[in-house]
Amino acid sequence: MKIALKRMTSQALIISILTLGSPLPYANAAMIGTAQVATENAQADRERVLAFFAREELQQQFHALGVDAQAATERVAAMSDAEIARLAGKLDQAPAGGDIVGAFVTVFIVLLITDIIGLTKIFPFTRSLR
Amino acid sequence: MSGKSIAGPPQNRLGPGGGRLGFIFRSRVNRLRPAFAGAALAVLLTACAAPQSRNLLREQPAHIPTRVELTRTPFYPQEQYQCGPAALAMALGAAGVDIEPERIVPQVYLPERQGSLQMELLASARRNQTLAYELSPLLDDLLAEVAAGNPAIVLQNLGLSWAPRWHYAVVVGYDLTAGEILLRSGREQRQIMRMHTFEHTWARGGHWAMLTLPPGRLPATVKEARYAQAAVAFEANGDSEAAHAAYAAAVARWPNNFTARMGLGNTAYALNDLDAAADAFRQAAVDHPDAAAAHNNLAHVLHQQGHFAAALISARQAVALEGPLADAARGTLAEIEASIAANRAD
Repeated sequence: MKIALKRMTSQALIISILTLGSPLPYANAAMIGTAQVATENAQADRERVLAFFAREELQQQFHALGVDAQAATERVAAMSDAEIARLAGKLDQAPAGGDIVGAFVTVFIVLLITDIIGLTKIFPFTRSLR
Repeated sequence: MSGKSIAGPPQNRLGPGGGRLGFIFRSRVNRLRPAFAGAALAVLLTACAAPQSRNLLREQPAHIPTRVELTRTPFYPQEQYQCGPAALAMALGAAGVDIEPERIVPQVYLPERQGSLQMELLASARRNQTLAYELSPLLDDLLAEVAAGNPAIVLQNLGLSWAPRWHYAVVVGYDLTAGEILLRSGREQRQIMRMHTFEHTWARGGHWAMLTLPPGRLPATVKEARYAQAAVAFEANGDSEAAHAAYAAAVARWPNNFTARMGLGNTAYALNDLDAAADAFRQAAVDHPDAAAAHNNLAHVLHQQGHFAAALISARQAVALEGPLADAARGTLAEIEASIAANRAD
């Protein structure tokens, strides 16, 4: 019920935003911001709408992943609409560069071989052939 | 990748510690023969050559030097999981921003993911006064940037697609004759990697690379639209002076770029330089007479400068163009008319 209501509201919002031109954060501004100038095309419009809805969700997800609420807000705020749009709904699969300690034996052997062949570079002691 | 390299006895080709690993290798191989054969087959199937390296090393392009090393890029050995902050701190240092990786951690690290996302590296680069620019997925471009003195952060998958090990490193050099690339990576200040191996790990990271540029510096392989977009994101971070420099560089290169010209005006306006803002908007309106935003912003600045008559003309032009900005333009026109009426009343 709650979800259905939420979905209906967001659909109504999306429609109103798309049909009323693009007045999102810029309504009644006397000066037109560069971001608005730069985004006068269909793809950018989609990104803006998507980002509008995804920002808050992303903040909550960051919080759930161990970032404190204030920092999560700042971090999401620092991302552009296009970046938010690229991340929205894909946070789980998005590569997070860090490093992984330990790998089980099969993976170890495969990686050892691929390291030697020169496809991967996991172990500091391998030197690839050729 | 030839079959011979797989068939050869791997334990003989290993570096230090090879003997012991060879033992593990032999004792496990029998039990895991099916898995081993499957894996070897999978490797053979996916072991297509690294195409970009092959072409690059065969042709030895003339537009970049054969050998480059950016020795002045600082090095921060990474703490556990912190290759993102470390890589970013190194790239920022090369751009003239001295910052310790520990201070970047709260901006990019996701504890539960034990790593950092690409989007957050871009955002954090901007928060630290550099323009974040993503490169095309071309090895050629990557090396050209390094040759131009711009070390690049790269995302690598050091493992396999099904056993990923995501990692950020900084490319600081290469040697085309030796077929090698030089990285600041993990705890290694000077990691030398075969170009082919690097390409495999980079390809599995989606060929992703980014630069952290001092404001006003254009990438060597710059693309107009991408740079304009990067500059807009940079401006949104709030440092108008730095953003102004970024736009000025873009306008110098592409005088006709509307976004850059408007950005130049908007940042001048934010810095309270009304003359420069009016100049930029006037030029934008001349170059792009159908752009309501240019007329509207020019009207607004002229109004603030007290040039009511000129402001009125520009505002009317903005309104006449209709379109999605018509409301804002009508607002500007109404303000100007109110000022004129108040002036008459005095």
